Amino acid sequence: MHELSIVSGLVESVLDFVAARSIKKVLGLRLCVGELTHLETEQLRFCYTAMTEQTAIHGSTLEVETVPAEVNCAHCSYQGPPKYWDEALASAPVATLQCPRCGLTAEATRGHECEIKTIKYVT
Amino acid sequence: MIPTIQASPEETYDIELEQSLLQANAKLAAENRAQLDHHGVTAIDFMGAIGSGKTTLITRLVEKFKDQLNLAVFNGDATTVDDVNLIASQGVPTVQLATVNGCHLDANLVGKALLKTDLKKVDLILIENIGNLICPAEFPLGSRARVVVVSVTEGPYMVKKHPHMFLGADLVVINKTDLAEVMGVKVADLARDAHTLKPDLKVVPTSCKTGAGLDEVAAALLAVTKSGVHA
Ligand SMILES: Nc1nc2c(ncn2[C@@H]2O[C@H](COP(=O)(O)OP(=O)(O)OP(=O)(O)O)[C@@H](O)[C@H]2O)c(=O)[nH]1
Ligand SMILES: [Mg+2]
Ligand SMILES: [Zn+2]
Repeated sequence: MHELSIVSGLVESVLDFVAARSIKKVLGLRLCVGELTHLETEQLRFCYTAMTEQTAIHGSTLEVETVPAEVNCAHCSYQGPPKYWDEALASAPVATLQCPRCGLTAEATRGHECEIKTIKYVT
Repeated sequence: MIPTIQASPEETYDIELEQSLLQANAKLAAENRAQLDHHGVTAIDFMGAIGSGKTTLITRLVEKFKDQLNLAVFNGDATTVDDVNLIASQGVPTVQLATVNGCHLDANLVGKALLKTDLKKVDLILIENIGNLICPAEFPLGSRARVVVVSVTEGPYMVKKHPHMFLGADLVVINKTDLAEVMGVKVADLARDAHTLKPDLKVVPTSCKTGAGLDEVAAALLAVTKSGVHA
């Protein structure tokens, strides 16, 4: 479960942020997670709740926003949403690197991110 | 009366942070890569499901490469020391990497292993990641190429179930083809699925038992290594 290592990095940087300022209470965080990462929202939130217990940011909420993937094709100059694979085994269509226009391999320009977007706190 | 706004002692802030959580690892991976490039060393990492044959494949490749290249092997898995000991007994320097969470190697650990390696005396480092088809994809190590090793014993739906792993791969090895028939798995179907995700992905079916396909894997990795030597 790599959500655990992501969240431990998250909690660490938020605790650093709080320690460096006179912050009374952290209310919540907004996280942006790319479609191409394999990070599950529920897992992230579960880990967050578990890992913030008995810390200075206990009780704060974690909001997770998904960033849709985007690809760039060097062969035909296509730029935009990826081609999706309607795979019956997956719960949702799977983003691929197959160029939607020419069918050759495109490069992902968006969808790999995982960042803390905003932090909300009371001083 | 002029209205005044008094800041309350308790003010709520909602500020932009834009702090990437994958950045720390990505940065260390770039540092590893710069260090490797500086010495003309190529690193290749092997990811894949538990028991798909990563260690066995690396052992076979060591046999093929050891007369023409100076090798080192990093092993991210402490459970199967036998094969690693065999590699070490062939005079190849090996480093065991013990992860904290047991789910993937990260660039920090690989960086530490690089410190233990005499890069002036090495051409190619083969890194075995932890057996896991999900986590390692998000954590680049600084390698020049990433190999995903799957095997037919994991069933016909490996690619469909774990697409993310294949999107980040440079080479896919479909191992244990000697067992394909008994397993009722069509190697061509797995290869087609991989190409659906990434049309130009190189896919090589192998059997570490019969040796089938191993020359092709070796040739592909040698090409990557050679491209790195003069880069
Ligand atoms: N029949 C057959 N068996 C294989 C082949 N390749 C590996 N094996 C066997 O599969 C088992 C697991 O191989 P390993 O090389 O240890 O697999 P691994 O991916 O390193 O495993 P972990 O590090 O534990 O994830 C061993 O018993 C190998 O002998 C193959 O091509 N055919
Ligand atoms: Mg192994
Ligand atoms: Zn195109």
